[in-house]
Amino acid sequence: MLRDVLFTPFADMIAAPDFLLQVLWEGLVSGILYALIALGFVLIFRSSRIFNFAQGIMVVFAALTLVGFHAMGVPAWISVALTLAVMLALSVTIERVVLRPLVGQPDIILFMATIGITLFLIGFGEIIFGGENKVMITEQLGIPTGSFVLEPWGGLLILEQKDVTAVIVAALLVAALLAFLNYTRMGRAIRALGDDSQAALSVGISLQTIWVLVWFIAGIIALVTGIAWGARAGVSFALEVIAYKALPVLMLGGLESISGAIIGGLMIGMLEKLFEVYWGQPLMGGGTEAWFAFVLALVVLLFRPQGLFGEKIIERV
Amino acid sequence: MNKLVKLATATLIAGVTAGAAMAQELYTPNLSYRTGPFAATGIPLMNGQADYMTMLNERDGGIGGVPVNFEECETGYSTEKGVECYEKTKGAAIVTQPWSTGITLQVLPKTNVDQIPILAPGYGFSPMMDGKTFQWAFNMPSGYWDAADMIVQYLEGQGSLDGKKVAFLHLDHPYGKEPLPVLEAAAEAKGFELLPIPVGLNEMQNQASQWLQVRRERPDYVVMWGWGAMNAGAITEAVKTRFPMENFIGVWWAGHDADLRLVGEDGAGYKSISWSYPNQDAPAMKAVREYVTDKGMTKSNPEEMTGVFYGRGIVMSAILAEGISAAQAEYGTGEITASQLRWGLENIDFTQERIDELGLTGMVPPFATSCANHTGNSGGWMLEWDGEKFVKASDLLKPDTAGYADLVAAASGQYATENAPWEMNEACEG
Repeated sequence: MLRDVLFTPFADMIAAPDFLLQVLWEGLVSGILYALIALGFVLIFRSSRIFNFAQGIMVVFAALTLVGFHAMGVPAWISVALTLAVMLALSVTIERVVLRPLVGQPDIILFMATIGITLFLIGFGEIIFGGENKVMITEQLGIPTGSFVLEPWGGLLILEQKDVTAVIVAALLVAALLAFLNYTRMGRAIRALGDDSQAALSVGISLQTIWVLVWFIAGIIALVTGIAWGARAGVSFALEVIAYKALPVLMLGGLESISGAIIGGLMIGMLEKLFEVYWGQPLMGGGTEAWFAFVLALVVLLFRPQGLFGEKIIERV
Repeated sequence: MNKLVKLATATLIAGVTAGAAMAQELYTPNLSYRTGPFAATGIPLMNGQADYMTMLNERDGGIGGVPVNFEECETGYSTEKGVECYEKTKGAAIVTQPWSTGITLQVLPKTNVDQIPILAPGYGFSPMMDGKTFQWAFNMPSGYWDAADMIVQYLEGQGSLDGKKVAFLHLDHPYGKEPLPVLEAAAEAKGFELLPIPVGLNEMQNQASQWLQVRRERPDYVVMWGWGAMNAGAITEAVKTRFPMENFIGVWWAGHDADLRLVGEDGAGYKSISWSYPNQDAPAMKAVREYVTDKGMTKSNPEEMTGVFYGRGIVMSAILAEGISAAQAEYGTGEITASQLRWGLENIDFTQERIDELGLTGMVPPFATSCANHTGNSGGWMLEWDGEKFVKASDLLKPDTAGYADLVAAASGQYATENAPWEMNEACEG
């Protein structure tokens, strides 16, 4: 038994390095998509202390809107622009109708409000788009659909071009987001609000504008995530469940850390695949991905309750 | 006092009116799931079921002259909501259609007390075949153990399974685990290695790990018990992994046109065992088009209506309608009760002549139920995706029910013991 746990998996990795690379690649692709979802949570939490339960359904809503516009005969890239406009309108509406009346209420009330937003978007989306699985407009967006077939060490490594594109686009999006937050006035305002909301408000930063902005950015991230996931297995309300995969990422990386979301996502993506393939499947009959990430996050929380990259909160009394 | 008399009179009139309204319909609620992660597969099935009943209402004024109230109660495929729907609808219902193995297992003991037939065509708990034990539960025309047996038969037809490896990719859910006893028994009897690969609900759309296992283990065949988004996820991963599609076979719930359309030509060769086929030329399909579609009364669309799942929904409602018809004829009344419907469902005789008479030619194989056999074991056809649609790729396959009769007896006996006191149909000779 000890041999199966401590020796065999590593021997398998060395014996078939091409397969190990394939496992790591699949983990990287999953991880970067987990990270994108987690980023949406983190951005909103940093600026408003709201845990946005609606992030998962926003992914579905954005993807369905894109496919829906295209189905109406709108060219692909114009559909993207129109979808972004819808996400902006959604952000404004959420700020005006849901968040603004709740300013000053306890965090749990705002959290409950995002559950309400989720339920509304599910119902509204199902009325508008129906519940059928839809094909993502991958080719129409110019996303290549073939594969790169490599033969490292005489083995086989298959890289789906749409996965490669997803990784590149996600990396560019993260870089752009970091640049925006660090080098623009609005970005610094978002960070200021996250660091000390009272101080930020006292120097004239508009809470309403920032909330609209972060929800819109979360909407952009949702759209990119929806395209990337939808290209893998279609667009339907089933996509919503992938938001649950972001929860351990947030536990691991910390709710306030953008770098934590990215590194946490990549760590969980790759470690859960490695564990499932080399330990879970041979020793436990598989299915470990359902719990592995949560256990990993819980172990981290035992030693760092604020997550790997979260800020330690010290309250003086 | 005067006011009291008026109120009492009004209540009496309202009660009588409502009672009359209730009596003039056959209330057959459907615990549907048009929302949630499984909606994509649920919608065409629900549409097919509803459209057939609408057609009967429009064309014949219902069944035996009594209109059918085919009300839906939305569960989102959630077991908890399904049980709520059952409780909400059971008062006037003559049947309950639970629509998930999880919900079926939950309401199964309740129906034995409430005495309402469960109709779960092609799903539910496989030992429901034993009608003597599960007197209120029906899963005709074929059950999951039939499906597993037919798939093994088909694979054997491709060559001996001795020494072969068969991966069993399944939803990690009661439904996905249903065929395991029959597959395990077959593996032992025929000498193949069975490799179960579970797919969690959160992993349905990201099955990279499962297909990495397929790549590493190199099974000769992959048998899939998938549902909802899992099917599309598996088929796209199979294409990506370059697994030979002709060696990839799903149960009837993993044969949905929309899932295969995602991969189109790349999915050509994929197979699915099925007890239904959407024969567009069948008179019943034409009647639905004439009385429902052309009148704008359907929730479906032309593309969906040519698919396997829509056609299966039609067959499901036709089976229920036949049960109702049989009961009406037996008891000489249009307004049958739940227990009378049980008799009807136990006495369905879908001979080829009757199938033709109902306009279902080529859509469902012949089968018959009895008080002892609530499954009917119709068998099915192996359907194959040709790149654009599913086509029949085999003659009718029949399950060898004798091969797992002991399993049925053992499982139903165990269920009755665990749920004692469990009332059985002792009057049934069979």
